[in-house]
Amino acid sequence: MPTHYYLTLSFVLFLIGSSGVLLRRNAIIVLMGIELQLNAGNLALLAYSRALGDQKGHVFAFIIIALAAAEAAVGLAILVGLFRSRQTVNLDEASLMKR
Amino acid sequence: MAFNLRLIPLLPFIGAALLLLFGRRWKRETVVLVAAAAIAGACLVAFDAFFSKLPEAAEMGGLRDVVWTWFSAGDLKVDLAFRLDALSGLLCLIITFIGFLIHVYASGYMADEPDYARFFGYLNLFCGAMLVLVLGDSLPVMFVGWEGVGLCSYLLIGFWYTDNANADAGKKAFITNRIGDFGFLLGMFLLFQYTGTLNMSDASAGAVQGSALTQPLWGMTAAFWVCLFLFIGAVGKSAQIPLYVWLPDAMAGPTPVSALIHAATMVTAGVYMVARLHALFVLAPAALAIVAIVGALTALFAAIIGFAQNDFKKVLAYSTVSQLGFMFAGVGTGNFEAGVFHLYTHAFFKAGLFLCAGSVMHAMSGSGDITIMGGLRKKIPWTHGVFFVCWLAICGLPIFSGFFSKDAIIAGAFSTEIFGADLAWVGKLVGAMLMLAALGTAFYMSRLYFLVFSGKTTRASHDIQHHIHESPGVMVGPLVILAIGAGLGGLIGAPTGLFGHPEWNFLGHTLEPVLGAELDVPHTTEIIFMLASTVLAAVGIVLAYAFYGGGYRQPAIKFAQAFPGFVQLVRDKFRVDELYDFLFIRPIKRLSKALFFVVDRIIIDKILVEGLGAAVDLVGRLSRMFQTGDGQRYMAVFAIGVAVTVIFATRPTTPGELKVRVSGLSVDVDARRGGRPSARPLEYTFDFNGDGKTDTKGINPEGHFAYEKPGKYEIKVSVVDPRWGTESHLTRTVEVR
Amino acid sequence: MGAAIGSPPGLGEQILFWVLAGWVVGGALFTMTRRNPVTAVMSLVGTFFALAATYASLSAHFLAIIQILVYAGAIMVLFIFVVMILNREEITPVTPRGLILRVMGIGAGLYLTRVFVRVVATSPGADVPGKVSDTFGTVASIGDILFRDFLYPFEAVSLLLLVAIVGGVVISRSHQKEVAAEIAAERRKAIEEMAHAPYPAPEDASSSGGGGHH
Repeated sequence: MPTHYYLTLSFVLFLIGSSGVLLRRNAIIVLMGIELQLNAGNLALLAYSRALGDQKGHVFAFIIIALAAAEAAVGLAILVGLFRSRQTVNLDEASLMKR
Repeated sequence: MAFNLRLIPLLPFIGAALLLLFGRRWKRETVVLVAAAAIAGACLVAFDAFFSKLPEAAEMGGLRDVVWTWFSAGDLKVDLAFRLDALSGLLCLIITFIGFLIHVYASGYMADEPDYARFFGYLNLFCGAMLVLVLGDSLPVMFVGWEGVGLCSYLLIGFWYTDNANADAGKKAFITNRIGDFGFLLGMFLLFQYTGTLNMSDASAGAVQGSALTQPLWGMTAAFWVCLFLFIGAVGKSAQIPLYVWLPDAMAGPTPVSALIHAATMVTAGVYMVARLHALFVLAPAALAIVAIVGALTALFAAIIGFAQNDFKKVLAYSTVSQLGFMFAGVGTGNFEAGVFHLYTHAFFKAGLFLCAGSVMHAMSGSGDITIMGGLRKKIPWTHGVFFVCWLAICGLPIFSGFFSKDAIIAGAFSTEIFGADLAWVGKLVGAMLMLAALGTAFYMSRLYFLVFSGKTTRASHDIQHHIHESPGVMVGPLVILAIGAGLGGLIGAPTGLFGHPEWNFLGHTLEPVLGAELDVPHTTEIIFMLASTVLAAVGIVLAYAFYGGGYRQPAIKFAQAFPGFVQLVRDKFRVDELYDFLFIRPIKRLSKALFFVVDRIIIDKILVEGLGAAVDLVGRLSRMFQTGDGQRYMAVFAIGVAVTVIFATRPTTPGELKVRVSGLSVDVDARRGGRPSARPLEYTFDFNGDGKTDTKGINPEGHFAYEKPGKYEIKVSVVDPRWGTESHLTRTVEVR
Repeated sequence: MGAAIGSPPGLGEQILFWVLAGWVVGGALFTMTRRNPVTAVMSLVGTFFALAATYASLSAHFLAIIQILVYAGAIMVLFIFVVMILNREEITPVTPRGLILRVMGIGAGLYLTRVFVRVVATSPGADVPGKVSDTFGTVASIGDILFRDFLYPFEAVSLLLLVAIVGGVVISRSHQKEVAAEIAAERRKAIEEMAHAPYPAPEDASSSGGGGHH
């Protein structure tokens, strides 16, 4: 398939992930949106890698997966801490600023 | 000729510094010793300068001592310099000598004062400032002394500042003086603007004569305004109408201070200034006329107020105002020597009178109410004797000092020719007013004398009567010396017109190099006015005896019953204070209150302070709305920002950039951005006649079109970037003829 | 897949792509719209499987395996655990606060997607798939490049993971034991003070005894 199909798929996936990040209250879902965004990036990297015949894109994608793992670990740990202190994982209730 | 003139003011200043810095811990004897030694040293230097050095230097403008250049800016160069000529020398002698006597007297009078060192420190400072004023060789230096005595008067009048009335009197003196000082400053500025010099010796040496000062300014000559403004300064300092009100209130200070202010320092400054700058004043006869009339009016007015005052020192205060009026009338009629002469005699008898007042009040347990006095002649004989001499001197009985000086002024006023033909009436008018004032002087001074000293017993309470005693030696000694001066001091200025021996008039020929030849009064005129003033004085005394001899007599009581309103008015000092209060003080207070409310409360407090705070608060509230702490919203803003950036960055061209050149019926259109070819492949669609149909299309940014007929056409170009999918529209209307 | 190299896509390849693309987009949308986090996680796992297949269709075999192992396996299990701990059904999945701004942000994202897709589609050479060798994307060749050219970044990633593990432990660690220890220490202290305190005065004792009647 031509590369731009994959790239378009990557953009759409990123948009869906972004929408979740922007709209959802639940921090777990937001983290999932971030995972989607990262995967969209991976997809674009791999598509270009395939188009250019250069495997460095694979390496970057590999590193991004590792980074996603680290992000998920720390992010979920933060969520657990947040839940422990405020009994909620809703982002709009987590802010300490006055409204 | 060089001489260490700086020593004269410096010694009192050193004394003041020592006393004010360390005096608090010293014994009383030490304090008195330092204070008196400082002023005595100054006195000795002054005597030395005046009698042994000055005669050689008199023709060269006197002794001069330049300490350093004070400031120099452009054409203006002012030295801190002192000059001692006959005039300033005479004043120096008066200040230091009488000042010394007052110091000695005060050491006894203030014996019970806890704040001894401060008092003597101020006294020294006062004398030092006055000496700077007198010796200053330029107007700025004089002004330093001028302000210095103002400050010291404030400090000394309000010496017992714990009492509110005293502090208020000090403030009144200071503020009233400030009004005059403002005039002094204006005069100084104006003088510099027109002559370029502020140097006293230049001004009085005639350097200003015939210079720019005679040119017109505001309807008069410049000299007139300079003199008028300077005279306003003199009016403030020398307590003339309308700024005399502070002097009677200055009685709030200790009596030696009153004596110092009234006799030796402070109030004579104005007269001295006019005499000092006589070269300026003679350039403006109109200004001199104002000086003379104000002086005569003050002399008369204050004398009338003196009729009904019942406080010993108040009577003397109004007497000072009145006598200062005489001096101004003297200098104002161009009779400068007589004015200075009266200043000199007045210094003696008024110092004597005030110190007598202090002595009397000392005897009367501090009370100055003359209605309860009487018969003190036997009880305090020394004081009585001194007062008697001074009384005759101020009344102007022959041989006594006041007689010669007052007579010189009156006779001079009638025979002066300085005003010219237009203003010749001024001299006569002033002379007549002065004669009335002399009569009044004799009357109120005699009233004072009779009420206090004549009669059998006092009307005071038993306790006070029991305590009546003569003052100690340190107080009586200075009194006696002053009495001798008051009695015989006038002989040094024996009028030439009377005796025909100019050399007998020591004062006259001493002052001649400075003030010019004395006014030539014909022999007969002299005799007539001497007789007249003697008669007037005698009438005043006799009248006063009839009214008050031995206490209140029937005529006095009947007079008061016949004109109760008038007597009350005079007793209330013509309610001038109340008038000023109504005219100036209350409006100013009201204005201040209004300003306080409008400027302070509203503009500064509400608008500037609170308004600024509110503005910051509002900005904070507004900007807080952006700081939600909600990362999701931040991300949304970020996405919007990226989109907006992309929209702007990917526009094919900016709107309104359509270059059109019309030639005949055809147009050439260039749609390139900034006239440069775009790096991106763009598509241009041209619609030249605004009919919505495409005329030309392609990648060529330039279009050409020929219209069929003249008219107005709208050219529309749409530019499309096919890669980014963006589009811009450019429109322009052209008219083809 | 190997057949697609350098030639126009065949019908089978096209069908495969569209199926996978539909699966990915649908799964992602499904994930983002679920109220129940467990459902969301499960659909996300499905999405990741489809993505892994897509990677494979791009000759990224190694990454496809890693995607399944790490993402669908490890990370999603972690998610499941956290969801189990914190599971709360949402009543309103979207907060109404600042909704206009968020929707505008999504609108901006839509615009950007449109622009980028257009740019990508019109880029020269984007419509032709590149030619790759047979070993492209295999474990051997990726391992070769990873440990030869990208050794230091690789090691840095391992450090990053270590830090993330430590950070996760520190952040999510329970403080209950420490709190309990503090409370116990205070109690001990109070008991000691009571032991050393002087005996209560007799009046107090009698009054407290008197109060006992109530």
